[in-house]
Amino acid sequence: MQPREPRVDVVLVDDHRMFRSGVRAEIGDAVNIVGEAPTVDAAVEVIAETRPAVVLLDVHLPGGSGNGGVDVIHGCRGLETASGQPVRFLALSVSDAAEDVIAVIRAGARGYVTKTISANDLTSAIRRVADGDAVFSPRLAGFVLDAFGAAAGEIAEVDEELDRLSAREREVMRLIARGYQYKEVAKELFISVKTVETHVSSVLRKLQLSSRHELTAWAMGRRLL
Amino acid sequence: MSKDVGMPTPYERPDRATTAPAGDQRAARTLHRPVEGRIIGGVCAGLALHLGLNVRLVRLVFVLLALPGAGLVAYLFLWALTPQSVQGVIEGSSGRVPVDPARPEGPGRSVTDAAAAVGGASDDQQRSATRVLLLGGVLLLAGLVVVAQNAGLNLRLGFLIPLLVVAVGAVIAWSQLDDAQRGRWLGGSSGTGRFSAARLAFGSLLALTGLVILTTRGRSLAAIWDIGLASLAVLAGVVLIAAPWGLRLWSELRHEQAERARATERADIAAHLHDSVLQTLALIQRRADDPSAVAQLARAQERELRSWLYAGPAGSDATLAAAVAEVAHEVEDLHGIPIDLVVTGDQPLDSGGQALVRAVRESLLNAVRHGQPPVSVYLEIGPDGVEAFVRDHGPGFEVEEVPTDRLGVRQSILGRMERHGGAARVRRLEQVTEVSLSLPAPRAPSPTTEPQPPAEASHATP
Repeated sequence: MQPREPRVDVVLVDDHRMFRSGVRAEIGDAVNIVGEAPTVDAAVEVIAETRPAVVLLDVHLPGGSGNGGVDVIHGCRGLETASGQPVRFLALSVSDAAEDVIAVIRAGARGYVTKTISANDLTSAIRRVADGDAVFSPRLAGFVLDAFGAAAGEIAEVDEELDRLSAREREVMRLIARGYQYKEVAKELFISVKTVETHVSSVLRKLQLSSRHELTAWAMGRRLL
Repeated sequence: MSKDVGMPTPYERPDRATTAPAGDQRAARTLHRPVEGRIIGGVCAGLALHLGLNVRLVRLVFVLLALPGAGLVAYLFLWALTPQSVQGVIEGSSGRVPVDPARPEGPGRSVTDAAAAVGGASDDQQRSATRVLLLGGVLLLAGLVVVAQNAGLNLRLGFLIPLLVVAVGAVIAWSQLDDAQRGRWLGGSSGTGRFSAARLAFGSLLALTGLVILTTRGRSLAAIWDIGLASLAVLAGVVLIAAPWGLRLWSELRHEQAERARATERADIAAHLHDSVLQTLALIQRRADDPSAVAQLARAQERELRSWLYAGPAGSDATLAAAVAEVAHEVEDLHGIPIDLVVTGDQPLDSGGQALVRAVRESLLNAVRHGQPPVSVYLEIGPDGVEAFVRDHGPGFEVEEVPTDRLGVRQSILGRMERHGGAARVRRLEQVTEVSLSLPAPRAPSPTTEPQPPAEASHATP
């Protein structure tokens, strides 16, 4: 798709063989799939061996201590690629249950997309994650707005505040929730794509570090559509 | 243990006139003790039902046999070994015994009350008459015994009376067993638990007293004390040895119950999957040559399964988020074009909300008819109002270029929103058309009904 860039090494972790072969067929040309794994334990082994730039990670997996994708991320903590970058995770799921998504993001995944994503979008999401950016699907952006109370008008006074989104972050999240691509967001807000990525990464960091009780309580208690 | 939600077992009361034959049909093979029409434990009634004999005949035989003692023993054995049944349904034969909320009697009522509630009034009268007769017979027997004693016959009363006390106590305590069983089965309430416990305690005490009297006849107080101590020691030893077995049995019972609950749940899930997913899969196989139909089937099934798995609280249909979701699904089904829906927040559905829902629907229809997928909806419900964005990847349209018929459609969107104090606008970006709808919070009518440009930084000011 973007031949000028080197192909990203990817490991596919999903317990459905049909899904793995489907993804391989769809994006196998654009990225370099170096390994596959159907379970938590196999995934940790394969990832430690191949050290890919990005792991496409299913949220629900057999094995491990029963927490699926979260276990894989914990098991691979500290792993680095050959070029010294940390191994990054992109969660891929059919589950829209908020608690699953929030759990895997808080464990350290750099993004979350649904399995219905198109091949092109998936490829660019992988590339973005490989570059260290965050990838938010519209649905994840919706979760974030809800969980941080941003939809209800809570806005951080200073950007560094972990428990609330800043005004700009909220704007970015709202546009992503509306289905805007990063470059459309950038155009809309008259900022650069890089700045959009910075905002998204900062939201991701807040999502991972915040102790805001609603984050967990909300995700557990609320059953979304 | 959970009740059997979703797996109703038909449970019909047999006609009163045909109670006995109906019971026959269902449980003719196994001996059981019907609660209806019983006098003590229902053994005679059950036996009569089983053998096809007259109840009175069976009772007479038992009374006659009871005089030398054999009948009494037989009765007790049968009582202990045959299951109780209510209206032909045997307890314990299946894990799922239905609970009829219409049943009037509580679990702890006395036997007479329970029987009266189940049986008819005439039945009840007949039974109490029989009871009076029975009581009279016992009194008569007692009188005869006294007379015989006075006449010089040694009936060893010192032996007979304690035995009688033991028997009465045992019957009282054991009849509690039946009721406790039934109480559990009827999903018992705790209100009458104390009464049951008192009855059990009284029965046990009576039986124990009888036993003590029986074994300590004609001995001194010191000897009784020694015997009592020895019995206590033996009892303690027995309890000590039996306790682990009892505990083991208890835990096994609990385990089995849990297992059964799980099995029920599994059956529930299997039934649902069979009715939904398997049917859809069969449909998909049959229509494999029609990709759009297959996609639509799969999408609809996915949605159905998802809503089943992550079902919201019951009655959530009345909220704005649910209404918008429903509209989105409807349009999706109508046109077979997937619609991505993201919602934050929620609120009850009011008239303004209904207008918004209809406007969203109209916008979605526009998007799927004239636009290009992917179509997405973002609904933000906050304290300051509601905003909805419907977006598609079509070429878009300029308001000026829009033909009159489509203007009419848009007019219904715009006009509808404005009538409810909201606003609607159509934005055209390159390869994207976005309809944004906004509705201020109802209780505080905002001074500006003017729509805010949806993505301006002016949102930032709180």
